[in-house]
Amino acid sequence: MTGRALLPILLAAILIGAIPLFVTANTVLNFLVFTLIIALAAQGWNILGGYGGQFSFGHAAFFGTGAYAAAILQTRFGINAWAAFCLGIAAGAAIGWIIGYLSFRSGLRGSYFALVTLAFAEVFRILANASAVTGGAAGLLVKLDVRPENFQFSSRAVFVWIALALVVAVLVLTAWIERSRFGAQLVAVRENEGAARALGVDALRVKLLAIALSGGVTAAAGALYVQYFLYIDATIAYGTWISVEALLAPIIGGAGTVLGPLVGAVTLHGLGEITKTLAGRVPGIDLVAFGALLIVAVAFAPDGIIGLARRLRARIGRGGGA
Amino acid sequence: MTIDLLRPTRRQLIKTAALGGVATIAMPAYLRAQTPAIKVGIIQPVTGALAQDGEFGRLGAEIALNEINAAGGIKSMGGAKLEMVFGDARSNPEAGTQEVEKLQAEGVCAIVGGFASPICLATTQAAARYNLPYIVDVGVSDQIVSRGLTNTFRFAPGFGMVTGVALDNLVKLNDAAGKPAKTVVLVHEDGLFGSGLAKLMQTELPKRGFEILETIAHPTPARDMSNVALRIRSLNPDLVIPSSYYGEFVLLARTMQQQRIRPKGIYAVLNGAASNYRFVKEFPEAAANVMDCNHWYDPRNTKAQELKKQVEAQGKVFAYNVPLNYSCVKLLADAIERAGSADRAKVTEALASSTFKDHIMPYGATKFVNGQNTGAAPVNTQVQNGDIKVIFPDAFADAKPVFPVQG
Repeated sequence: MTGRALLPILLAAILIGAIPLFVTANTVLNFLVFTLIIALAAQGWNILGGYGGQFSFGHAAFFGTGAYAAAILQTRFGINAWAAFCLGIAAGAAIGWIIGYLSFRSGLRGSYFALVTLAFAEVFRILANASAVTGGAAGLLVKLDVRPENFQFSSRAVFVWIALALVVAVLVLTAWIERSRFGAQLVAVRENEGAARALGVDALRVKLLAIALSGGVTAAAGALYVQYFLYIDATIAYGTWISVEALLAPIIGGAGTVLGPLVGAVTLHGLGEITKTLAGRVPGIDLVAFGALLIVAVAFAPDGIIGLARRLRARIGRGGGA
Repeated sequence: MTIDLLRPTRRQLIKTAALGGVATIAMPAYLRAQTPAIKVGIIQPVTGALAQDGEFGRLGAEIALNEINAAGGIKSMGGAKLEMVFGDARSNPEAGTQEVEKLQAEGVCAIVGGFASPICLATTQAAARYNLPYIVDVGVSDQIVSRGLTNTFRFAPGFGMVTGVALDNLVKLNDAAGKPAKTVVLVHEDGLFGSGLAKLMQTELPKRGFEILETIAHPTPARDMSNVALRIRSLNPDLVIPSSYYGEFVLLARTMQQQRIRPKGIYAVLNGAASNYRFVKEFPEAAANVMDCNHWYDPRNTKAQELKKQVEAQGKVFAYNVPLNYSCVKLLADAIERAGSADRAKVTEALASSTFKDHIMPYGATKFVNGQNTGAAPVNTQVQNGDIKVIFPDAFADAKPVFPVQG
């Protein structure tokens, strides 16, 4: 990987990582942690949806699995929180592989694949809502015991850095995918699966690897959510809200780009938060801003903020488009 | 090319955006007039799925704060006024946590509210990091007060307490009428309240001599209850015990009325609609004789009657959230008054030792044990002649139960 590819990642890491050093307001730090969790979930979606072209409407299935696995292993089996966190990621990847195997092997593509993922997430939600091991509809509460070995910290800054470290790790992973043989095959499958097959690409294997990676990354977001909020129920874990968040951030930021999900998540949530602070007396004003941004993005930047920036740079490069 | 076409539009867009930005930035300057006061945080979900309940809660808190200020504020602190700092929990726990952080940054001395259990679980925990006293208004999940958080107080009864009373009163009701009801159909939403309640009923009702014919779950939101109603008709139970949110129960009650399905009684527990004046007003026939075991105000309390008139004069609905939040704010004001300070540790201590009686709920004196008010209790209500009456316990009742209902 070249330095050129890593430079923007390094810049983003330094920029966000420095915030807790200068800002002590927990309002900002809390906002940052939540935005980074969303960014992480969105990065997971981006690997499968952005690079692989397999649009999932049900990334909640992975988010929830990561969250529940981390919570159940801790509360019911007394496993260390850090180990539970890692196992949560593994569980997400495994669920990704299973869902992928079942749907890709049957040749489901496009809207059919999207619907199947949506169905999986809903089935998981209903199961989690009814089963005893997930605490049913009452949810699971991770015991509040603020110690570093329990993955609980008194300072919100530590959580910012952990979330950021995960986001940066996935940024590097995505940058590597973009330049690797696997990434090229994945993009080939996205652009034309038939042609990719004709060139000898094992489309099923490539897609399965992508969905397992995607599931693992989004599960990390779920597990982090549990460690941070210490509570999970079926609607939070497998609700459609997270599927939508995971899908919107890359679309706004730029699907199939390394920084797209992070840029999208920060823009969406940043804008929402700023509107709320400035015009806090009107309930729901941030949601209006959210919707307006979405319309503007779809109308003027169909390839996301990163795509828009690239187009602008290309124009300036050509001599300013006068 | 598209890029050329876009250019003027984008320029206009930026111009408009800039203007809008300036306008929004300029606004809060005059909105936030500073007065030396004690800041009290109120958290309610006023957007999203729970917005209706959130608005009721906010209304109750607002009226109480205004009343306290009009009566001279906190006397032990030289008549200091209470200032509301409001946070919108947007019907989800993350937003609730973010609002706690905001209220903490604003320097509130305590927080009241939360409404839904998941929101309360998250917000009380976030407040605990700052030893910020938190009074839960509704949140019935018993996990809220079982975590050993010293900052968390729940004024109202929890799930265990409500269901226990509901079962006892059901038996009492049935026995008094000569045991007309033997068979039951449970209808519940598949979330926290519904499922938990159905599970409890399934184990407890048979012990008390009732036979459960079937348990029917439905999602929230549900847009059609015809199948549920038809199933009830074919089972023909003596009692229907529904636990659903507002919209779904209204739908079920209306469908049952249209299909002329008339069991001997509809006995709801913690129902979103059965003790809601909006339902009674909009669908008086469907609501007739529906019973509920829920939070409710003390109908014999004159202050409660005045508050009800005041709220209804504003054209608003007097839901249980209003008197509950009203009482919670009064409870907090009493604690601040006795502490003689807005210091968090002192307010927490004053809350923990509270014996507050000046509320408008059918509770006795307040007494917190591990954060739960042991003086709290639910009541049984029944819709009678277009009004909601209390039928149990006798000490607060303003009507006799109508059971079995004559179809």
